[in-house]
Amino acid sequence: MNLFNRNDKPAEKPADKPDTPSAPPKPATPPAAQTAAAPKAPDIKPEPPKPAPLPTPTTTPTTKGASMASVISKALKITGELESTEDIQIDGHIDGDVRGVGVKIGQNAKVKGTVYGDEVELAGTIEGKIESKKVTLGGTARMTGDVWFQEIKIDSGAYISGNLKPELGKQDSKAEIKPVAKPAANVSPLSTANGAAHA
Amino acid sequence: MNAHADAPPSFLGPRTGIAGILEIEGELVISGRVKGQIAAIRVVIAPGGYVEGDVIAFEVVIAGHMNGRVFAPTVTIEASAQVDGRIFHSSITIARGANVRGRTPWRPPSYFETLDKLPEERP
Repeated sequence: MNLFNRNDKPAEKPADKPDTPSAPPKPATPPAAQTAAAPKAPDIKPEPPKPAPLPTPTTTPTTKGASMASVISKALKITGELESTEDIQIDGHIDGDVRGVGVKIGQNAKVKGTVYGDEVELAGTIEGKIESKKVTLGGTARMTGDVWFQEIKIDSGAYISGNLKPELGKQDSKAEIKPVAKPAANVSPLSTANGAAHA
Repeated sequence: MNAHADAPPSFLGPRTGIAGILEIEGELVISGRVKGQIAAIRVVIAPGGYVEGDVIAFEVVIAGHMNGRVFAPTVTIEASAQVDGRIFHSSITIARGANVRGRTPWRPPSYFETLDKLPEERP
């Protein structure tokens, strides 16, 4: 297990930070150079540059890591909750809530429950609710229920039965404003009352 | 098995978790976490994957962490696997280095054909 985890970590790191691929190879080359130099020929020092091929095996896991978004294929039916901190592609049936970052719901997919995400792209059917900053309803989308959003795109042909609520995330600001206003209103009569009592 | 060929495999990424019942007429590859019941044709628990509950399939490959019961005619346990629980099988492969805690009872292939209801017993 330990060995496996060690192997996994360098593969995941470049996947998480594709902008800095130069950083991981650097620590990888010195140990590789040492191992290569030690058993083969300690005398020949110019050889260490050869570890250059090492980055290529690390790049293949990187590409795998990049495409590591979850896929729920059409043959899959889930009864329960699905939660992810990465992108999800749904083509199957889900009875329950879905939480993801980017959620794509394919044409033949069906979700009964709430779909949460930063970005939701719907081409299939949802019976429930969408709560997402950015919502895209495709031409084949069939949405039954409310849509909470900040940004929305609706293609012609999309079916929506429910309310469109653009105030996603603005509830908090409202909630903040209200309590501030109320105490302020309460304080002044109290202080005046106290002042009156004292007087 | 035909459905298996038609449908693309489902994949649960390492940062994905499901709690509930999963039914697939195909293959499911798990790198994330699943808590509940899985019924599939083929299930692969990849390294880093974690399953807690019951797995029923024609074929199960475990390279991650399995905690619960497995019902499959063909079971493969890779060296990186950690298994807690029972593995009902009629053919099993366990790689050297695998961490298997529990029993691996043998059952005839006919046992799996009639496996509609899960035995109530708990590991």
